[in-house]
Amino acid sequence: MKFIYQDLLRFLKEQPSKAALSEKLFQLGHEHDINGEIFDMEITPNRGDCLSLIGLSRDLNYFYNNEDPFEIYNDNIDLLDLDFKNLSITSCPKITFLEIEIDEEISSYKPYLENYFSQLGNKKTNFFSDISNYISYERGQPTHCFDKKYITKDLTFTNKLCDESFKTLLGKEIQLEGKNCVFTSSGEIISLAGIMGGESTSCSENTREVLVECAFFNPEAIIGKSIKYNLKSDAAHKFERGVDIEAQEKVLRRFISVVKDHAVIKKLSMKTFIGSHFNKKYLPIRIDKVNKILGTKISKEQYISFLTKLGFEIDDEIKVPSYRNDVASQNDLSEEIARIIGYDDIKSIPLNLKRRSQLEQDKISKIEDFFIDKGFNEVINMPFSDIEEKKSILIDNPLDSNRRNLRTSLKNSLIENLLFNERRQKDSIKLFEISDVYSNEKKIIQEKRLGIIVSGRCGHNHKDFSKKLDRKYLNDILNSNKNISVFEIEEIPRENLKTKKKDKIFYTEVLLEDIPEAFFRGHKIKEYPINFIKYVPVSDFPSSVRDFSFSIKDFKKYNTVISCIEKFEEENLKDFFVFDFYLNEKLKEIKVGIRLIFQSSTRTLSEEDIQMSIGKILKPIIDLDGVVVPGLELN
Amino acid sequence: MDNIEPPLIKRVTGTLHPINQTKDFLLNLLNQFGFQEVQGPEIESEEFNFDMLNIKKSHPARQMHDTFYVENKKKVLRTHTSPVQIRSMLKSKPPFAFSSAGKVYRKDDDATHLPMFHQIEGIYVDKDVNFANLKDLINKILLSLFGENVEIRFRPSYFPFTEPSAEVDILSENGKWLEILGCGIINPVVLENCNIDSNMYSGLALGLGIERIAMLKYEVSDIREFYKSNLDFLGQFK
Repeated sequence: MKFIYQDLLRFLKEQPSKAALSEKLFQLGHEHDINGEIFDMEITPNRGDCLSLIGLSRDLNYFYNNEDPFEIYNDNIDLLDLDFKNLSITSCPKITFLEIEIDEEISSYKPYLENYFSQLGNKKTNFFSDISNYISYERGQPTHCFDKKYITKDLTFTNKLCDESFKTLLGKEIQLEGKNCVFTSSGEIISLAGIMGGESTSCSENTREVLVECAFFNPEAIIGKSIKYNLKSDAAHKFERGVDIEAQEKVLRRFISVVKDHAVIKKLSMKTFIGSHFNKKYLPIRIDKVNKILGTKISKEQYISFLTKLGFEIDDEIKVPSYRNDVASQNDLSEEIARIIGYDDIKSIPLNLKRRSQLEQDKISKIEDFFIDKGFNEVINMPFSDIEEKKSILIDNPLDSNRRNLRTSLKNSLIENLLFNERRQKDSIKLFEISDVYSNEKKIIQEKRLGIIVSGRCGHNHKDFSKKLDRKYLNDILNSNKNISVFEIEEIPRENLKTKKKDKIFYTEVLLEDIPEAFFRGHKIKEYPINFIKYVPVSDFPSSVRDFSFSIKDFKKYNTVISCIEKFEEENLKDFFVFDFYLNEKLKEIKVGIRLIFQSSTRTLSEEDIQMSIGKILKPIIDLDGVVVPGLELN
Repeated sequence: MDNIEPPLIKRVTGTLHPINQTKDFLLNLLNQFGFQEVQGPEIESEEFNFDMLNIKKSHPARQMHDTFYVENKKKVLRTHTSPVQIRSMLKSKPPFAFSSAGKVYRKDDDATHLPMFHQIEGIYVDKDVNFANLKDLINKILLSLFGENVEIRFRPSYFPFTEPSAEVDILSENGKWLEILGCGIINPVVLENCNIDSNMYSGLALGLGIERIAMLKYEVSDIREFYKSNLDFLGQFK
């Protein structure tokens, strides 16, 4: 809901600045953004009563004293002669109709009405609908205008099963299904009650006689329909959150005043149909209870002052205002009191809760730390899968119809993760995931599983660079103790995977409960502390790899070369490592192979960029006597 | 020749997923404050996920567009970790303090929302637990998380399972308030649903989105990064 700052000030006797108003709105729980003169409010769903100027001013009354600045039509009004039947009083316990006819001429909109359109960016449609929209903004009560010439016969409200199509006043054709609250005339649906009117009875610029409907619809009868039919409307938003059951006649009298401000009224009549009476809510006065809930020591005078200013009437009991559908208990009253005090002004009281000792490392932590220690990275995947098995649990309303099953294994997720990283030029991939998986075998079965996948080089160092992550590698770390071997390792064939890579993929998955405590024996499980590092955004630009081999004839320079390598640093150098080391005693030569990986965070690097970076990085080594890089020419 | 040593091989360790690191950090923190961890299923009944928590049949969260339903609408993918608390409260007698953390699901998928994310919650039920106690606990948690100089703001909010309810913001370095967590005094209706006498006992509850905390602590701006399984991303969280 958006409102114009000056519009709200009209309803307040004191005139707070924008900053002061903003602070109090936050204190009361009304989150918002301010853009110039416009406050864009995010009202919580329990506070439908605050979705209007008058509603917000009522909530601000304690701080700024509210008043209703506008004229409300107060003359006697003829009783409307309308053949109306309410067939669902639980869905609509109260409804008022106003019939109003005006002269041909309509004057230009007064500033209060014009600003509603010009400053808030609302679109004008026709005189009566414009007033209806404005009234909802000012009073919080939606109304609907039927062009009277189309309502010639009976009018009925009902909550019935529908299977016909309906064209809204915005020209959108929708197919109704299930139970819907509708207005019908001669059996034809003319309005989707509380959501949107129909095209067949809508007003136009030529309309001079209207039947205005102003109702209290039970939120439960309205909720979900606007989303179901993709009909976003202010009316639905307000009715779903609840309107004031006592407001309808006053709102229509204000409607008349606005009409009167712009046109000469020829005819007026009104009638209210009450299906069931509204039971006023009363709560006992329990200052002790409120102080107990909040941990405060407010006095009776404060209690009365706070609640009275919020519209509660206090005598022997507390009478809850008819617009406060959200207040029904002492806890609700406590929140009202706390909002006025200000949550930040309620003093903290230490909690008497016994502290617990440090958590012991559980099985999951041990498994995590075991694999982290072995250089594996943990992944977390969504459980939605395209693979349907007999035991799969089907999602009734998936986000993506291609992923409507809950996965029964972690395998495919981990294969996807591996392929994703291979596409990003990763050549040594070791991943694991621990997750619950669910299946249905007569009953829902929940299993906690561990999945492990590997492919590529064993590591980025001169010992492991040429070794492959394979079945033996996994067996050595997982099944070294033959007595407790629980991991069955399988090779994942690449044939059906969209990849050109040749490295073999190995995978294993086990139930966590099948991993015995003895598995961890003989392994030093180090606990990895949590360290909140500052993340550096990952580059989406391609990386480039360059390999170099140093030939060191002067062995005294070897340590200098290694020391230079350890200090490699350059803007575009993403990673580097020694992948080869060979001491040729016969030729009295040391060969050191290094791999440099270049990547920019802002662009694709050109060959020239890379050559410049290589020059900067390798120069200190090349400049050493007795060290050469065969084939390297630096500019 | 004897002085020639091959280059040192650095031990390369892997990483625990940053979401799980954050989850463990928060669980440890709540544990230190006296909360005992409890766990529960991700496939839940509507009764535990909604009814017991005072979320009415008409509440928008229960609509098909917000909640994933499974097994012909007989069950839901839990939309929060609160049903774990319900299950624990039904089995326990006050006083107790439980924490629960894990995956939750909502039918959202955009730059700031994912259909699966992680939550952590804490509840404490005892005689005379009040809003001032809740404020004390939240202040201590946020000081532990964001440092002693953090500025904290409490705002009224709305959750069906707490009353009064609050959202808590911290002031960021750029002067903007950032929403961090939701909390409140457990609605007496919820206590009664769990067979706890609400005239004798009261409770507090708090809940945090783990991704949100992880994004703030690690300065990750796009929530989707956590679930791409990109080694360039994951490898940073050592």
